[in-house]
Amino acid sequence: MHRSDYLIRKIGFAIATLLVVIVFNFFLFRILPGDPVKLIIHSPRMTAESQERIRQSFGLDRPVWLDMEALKQGDLYSAIDTQFTAYLRNLLRGDLGVSFSTRQDVTNLLKERVWRTVVLVGVGNVLAIVIGIVLGVLAAWRRGTKLDTSILLTGLFTWSMPTFFFGIILMILGRGHFPIGGMVTPGLHPEDGWVYWKDVAWHLVLPTLTLTILYMSEYMLIMRSSVVEVLSEDFILTAKAKGMNAFQIFRDHALKNSMLPMITIIALTIGYTVGGAIQVETVFSWPGIGRLMYEAVQKRDYPVLQGTFLLLAISVILANLVADLLYGVLDPRVEPD
Amino acid sequence: MRNKFMMLMTIFVLLALLLAACGGGTTAEPEVEAPAEEAPVEEAPAEQAPAEEAPADEPSVLDVGTTYIWDTANPAFGWYGYTIRYMIYDTLVEEQGISNFQPGLAESWTVSDDGLVWTFKIREGVTFHDGTPCDANAVAWSLNWTLENDIETFAFYIYNFSEIVALDDTTLQVTLSDPVGNMEYLLMYVWILPESVWGEMTYDEIMEFEDLSAGMGTGPYMLKEWSEGEYLILEANKDYWRTTPAIDQIIYHEYATEDAMVQALLAGEIDVVDTVPSTAIQTLEDADNIEVPIMGSTTIDELIINSHEDGTQPESLWDPAVRLAMAYGVDKQQIVNVAYLGYADALGPVVPASMGDWHNSDIQDIPFDPVEGNRVLDEAGYLDSDGDGIREFSDGSPLEYRFYGTDDATVARIMEIISDGLMQVGISAPSTLMDEDSLIALYPAFDFDLIYWGWGLDPDPDFAMLIFTCDQREEGGWSDSGYCDEGFEEMYVEQGITVDHEARRQLIWKMQEQLFNDRPYIVLTNAKNIQAYNSDRFVGFGTETGDILWKAALLQAKPVE
Repeated sequence: MHRSDYLIRKIGFAIATLLVVIVFNFFLFRILPGDPVKLIIHSPRMTAESQERIRQSFGLDRPVWLDMEALKQGDLYSAIDTQFTAYLRNLLRGDLGVSFSTRQDVTNLLKERVWRTVVLVGVGNVLAIVIGIVLGVLAAWRRGTKLDTSILLTGLFTWSMPTFFFGIILMILGRGHFPIGGMVTPGLHPEDGWVYWKDVAWHLVLPTLTLTILYMSEYMLIMRSSVVEVLSEDFILTAKAKGMNAFQIFRDHALKNSMLPMITIIALTIGYTVGGAIQVETVFSWPGIGRLMYEAVQKRDYPVLQGTFLLLAISVILANLVADLLYGVLDPRVEPD
Repeated sequence: MRNKFMMLMTIFVLLALLLAACGGGTTAEPEVEAPAEEAPVEEAPAEQAPAEEAPADEPSVLDVGTTYIWDTANPAFGWYGYTIRYMIYDTLVEEQGISNFQPGLAESWTVSDDGLVWTFKIREGVTFHDGTPCDANAVAWSLNWTLENDIETFAFYIYNFSEIVALDDTTLQVTLSDPVGNMEYLLMYVWILPESVWGEMTYDEIMEFEDLSAGMGTGPYMLKEWSEGEYLILEANKDYWRTTPAIDQIIYHEYATEDAMVQALLAGEIDVVDTVPSTAIQTLEDADNIEVPIMGSTTIDELIINSHEDGTQPESLWDPAVRLAMAYGVDKQQIVNVAYLGYADALGPVVPASMGDWHNSDIQDIPFDPVEGNRVLDEAGYLDSDGDGIREFSDGSPLEYRFYGTDDATVARIMEIISDGLMQVGISAPSTLMDEDSLIALYPAFDFDLIYWGWGLDPDPDFAMLIFTCDQREEGGWSDSGYCDEGFEEMYVEQGITVDHEARRQLIWKMQEQLFNDRPYIVLTNAKNIQAYNSDRFVGFGTETGDILWKAALLQAKPVE
């Protein structure tokens, strides 16, 4: 009974957040200064009629959220027939609209881009998690030794390294050995099978290395402090008193309990995977969601911006929900009141 | 136990949802890849090409780095990737160098005495990439189609064409509603597209067309493949009418930053970089196998002085003495040295020297001379009565101006140089940086005093003059200074209908002189266009157009044996 209440509350909260995001998403970009049509219309010599036609084709001739003129005349239907209601209507139909600048379907654009980002950030994260946890545990296990100090220092150093700078350094070091930009050699397609994937893997080396080294330290530092904290708990002393050896204690009691904060961090990171690493994608010209978003901001491409932000919001909300629920399962102390 | 099970199930479902959201693209992705029908063609040209041309077995491939390929293959709404589009399509007249034209699909042309009837001799034996002929009838169809559908990217160049007919297979006659002074320039922008692709489409279908066949023309290269945000492949058109392209394939690679392109060039991943940041020039020049052509451009930057009578600028900004003193206070050479590392020229008139005889070379630029600037202001009665270093207007208000620019590191540096210089003549104009759209949003209301801005001008001087006309101050117009003057207006109309080059040049010179004296702009510099290529792999690029990737320049390039 308790548990299902907890479940419903968490899911309800996630849905409510999503709804707020959907509304917020629409207005956020329209508050920005600058007229998107101005950026679509590139020539001063275009006639007023053509400009109007462009406005109409993107629905930008309608008022943003409420037609005051129509409202005064008592025409309620026209009053709410605005850009905002059109946005909601299309969203309900699963239609994210058409990009202002490329006129491509936003859903298709996102589909094409998202897996590339997931591959890049996914591989980088998995490596970072594994290496980070191993090093973190090692440092905690050998706390106070030279090994601990050097792991800690390396961690702090890489953690404070600016992504852009670090990426460029790796690029210069790897120049000539690994591809500097892009995801695949032009002309290769997934249908080419093994050759294609080998080529993608080759292009992944530098950006993944950057991501792994930068992300690793966060996992490492948190894992280390978590293990250190658990090791000072009373139940560890109890286990010692029961006569268990140090390794057993470490494996059965310390590790499991120290994984709890890691679960949250990992789940949250998975949520942010889709948002990717704008900076790494930019340094290594990786054609993912991050770069799409960056370009869309520059061009005031509302539909693309709304689409990417919605996708990000959904993944973050879902990942948070998963983290909350996992916690409920894994940690008996998280019992709803 | 059951609760726990339910909970776990829910989590799995959510995880699956998340993964589906992320991984959805994998299934959809083959759709977005190059159309299936392209696949069989892929291998063929590579094998055929060397057979005709001869020695090497390997087809020559030029790899080009660029920061943005294009927005769409559809020329009806694609505003980017012009150098690529010109490789695919032809125009009646082509650009050979900056403000210098050569015949394209039209071999020659004549104009009637009243300037209203133009007769073009259309080249014989030209075909589109699909083999359909491109004779005078096809050209007439294309121009009429452009006007009928009001193709937003280039129809406005020929709005003045009232009748377009093919008299026979090689003769095209165009009747204008008013004479024009820059026919070659206008025609340089109007692509000739095939009826076989566009003929059956309604306006909406044209605007939704995404197929690669949108990239079919008569040009030296054919569009083979495009992966959005990644790369674009062009294949040589061995039947091209002017010459057989020496390079079999051109691959454009999209890089997110200029620095990455420079590294890729050094690593040998690409052969050409389309823009080189000035900070990288030295590194590239030091490399043995890299050539760094430094070419003329039509890029100018300027200090805009709000000249709109309904603008919010203080009254003192209208005083010619204040404007003159400001000109004395701007150290253009320091801007060239610091911000452009020397790769620019200080400029006086709006039209840069790279545009040939359109540039008014009689204009003597105002030098950086704070002493003279101070003298001008002293004489005009602007004194610093409270000793704070800033002069005051007759009503006691200090000469303090709002000065805006975009938030970019180089722009910030340039604005700092300007602010420092103005301070030396007793004018305070501390810079405020904002993002580009916020800045553009200031224009319609003319709610500013000074702005730092720049233009990439058209090769014809018309555009550089257009931005100072009154109509351009309306909503949606391109006037950023708010300048409006009756005499200037008359000259603008006059130059537009003057067919004789010399007569038109004199008008354009006069207009530049007027702008120079009225100072809606204090023009600052004309930047160089800098590109780089691997000379171990390719040689011979033309530099006259200021862009080695421009059709006329690229067609001269050859692979090194």
